[in-house]
Formats: sequence, C-alpha cells, structure tokens
Amino acid sequence: MDTLKEDLKKQIIEQLNLEDITPADISDDNLLFNEEGLNLDSIDALELIVLLEKYHGIQVTNPDEGKVAFRSINSMAEYIRKRKS
Amino acid sequence: MNFVTGYCRLNEDFCAVNGEVISRRDVDSEDSWFKQIYKEQEFVYPKFYKMDLLSQAGFLGAELIKRANLRVAGSYPDDEIAMIFANSSSSTDTDMRFLRSYEGNSSPSPSLFVYTLPNIVLGEIAILNKWYGENMFAILPNFEPGFYINYLNITKSGGSKAALCGWLEILEGKVDVFLFFVEENEETGTPLNAENLASLFNHKPSIN
Repeated sequence: MDTLKEDLKKQIIEQLNLEDITPADISDDNLLFNEEGLNLDSIDALELIVLLEKYHGIQVTNPDEGKVAFRSINSMAEYIRKRKS
Repeated sequence: MNFVTGYCRLNEDFCAVNGEVISRRDVDSEDSWFKQIYKEQEFVYPKFYKMDLLSQAGFLGAELIKRANLRVAGSYPDDEIAMIFANSSSSTDTDMRFLRSYEGNSSPSPSLFVYTLPNIVLGEIAILNKWYGENMFAILPNFEPGFYINYLNITKSGGSKAALCGWLEILEGKVDVFLFFVEENEETGTPLNAENLASLFNHKPSIN
C-alpha cells in the first residue's frame, strides 16, 4: 500500500469535510473534479492548495501545475514526490 | 391575502415544525446540534457538511418546511418564490471562525471564507431548489414582523407568488431561527399579520 496516497485520501476527507466518504471510497485514479469521481468544485481546489502547504510544505504558485496535479490521487502523489525530490 | 402555510422554529435545544417538536438536542452526542438534526431526518446532501452554521440552519429550516408541506416545492415556477431573510449579527459567527483559522495556523480556509457574508444562505437554498425569485437579507436589531409584511408586498409587486422568509440569528452558540413560508390564498394557513407572526415567533413548544 502506498502510504502517501492513503495519507492524501485522509487529508482530503479532513480538509474538505467529506463526511460521508471514507478513504476506501476514493480510488487512486478517480478524477477528483469529475461527477463520477469526488465532484469537487473551485473552492475545493483552493482547499487542495492549502492542504499541500499545510501537510506537505508545498506551495502551488503556478495554476497550470495545479490543474495537472489535482486530477487524481495518483497525480497528486506524483506531484508531491517530484516537488520533494 | 397572505397566509403562513408552514414554519420551522429552531433554537439551541429543539427543532419544531408547524409547532411540533421533531428533534431535541442530545448534549452527549459527538455531532454538532445541526448535524444531529441532519442525520435524524435522514437528509442526503453532502454539501451540508461544508456549510457554515447560518447556511446549515437555512437548509434545515427550508427542507423541513418543504417536507411538512409537499405542495411548497412543486406549485410555483422557479421565479415566483422569493426569499426574505434577516438577522441581527450578520455573518459574525463565521467571520470569527475565519479569523481564528487565519490566526491559528496561518492557512485560512477558503471554504470558510466564502461564508463570510450573511446572504450566502440564500444562494445555497436557491441553488438546491432552483428558486430564482427575488431575494434579500437584511440586518435588523430584532425580529420585526413589519419588515417581512412590507417586503412581501414589494416582492409581490415584482411577480412573486410565494416567499420563504426567515430570521436566522446565530452567534457564539446561541441559536434563534424561525423560517416560515408565505403563500397567497391558501386559507389552510395562518393569516399573515404582525400579531400572528409575533405569536408564531414567540411560541415555545413544550419539551417533555
């Protein structure tokens, strides 16, 4: 099990107040902003930026980077690893 | 002639619809009081969890009135239901929470920030119900029946046929919420006048 991805799921649930959702409900390749995924909205996107800074010490300053990074749990984990390497 | 055809009263201890208590606060529950009502009434609207207390109270009151009077939701075109709300503390409760989030961890919450205006509750109810009629949120010193009666006449002249009205006062744990639905020519309701409105607002259902 990828610990970073599992942590990200818990952090997203906590940060975005997704009370009816458990980490098991989020698959690694679910599109976060798609109706068939978590159906997040633009305010949630801002919360994800806060989440990256709060839990991972990463500041997203380039909007294009965020667009790619926030597609799924997989892409978020990849982005975090890349920024920390 | 206007009539109050449904109303919801909510304070720190109970929630009543049309004069009957439907939920009492469990002080031992881990859930917040509004969350207790949401769960007890088996609502399914995940956005509820993201709302501030003002919007949660507006959501609960509007949905409970609709449940008690199913005609409310389906009888009017989407632009004929107005919303007229007021309170005395504006969004101060949420403003303070936002301030604390800013001071506490230097990462202010964007989702909290969007609720730092009192009229956001109107948008939440409008989005959920697809009600696109006139709406306004006034800041007044106290619950004032005359304000609703006068403003209902204004919305009526603009084409509204019904209105969801509300007093939504929430501040530092104090909850004083009263939502009521007003319709024309529905004589099963309570005639809308200052005396009746004050009476419904001040009526405290007995809690056994």
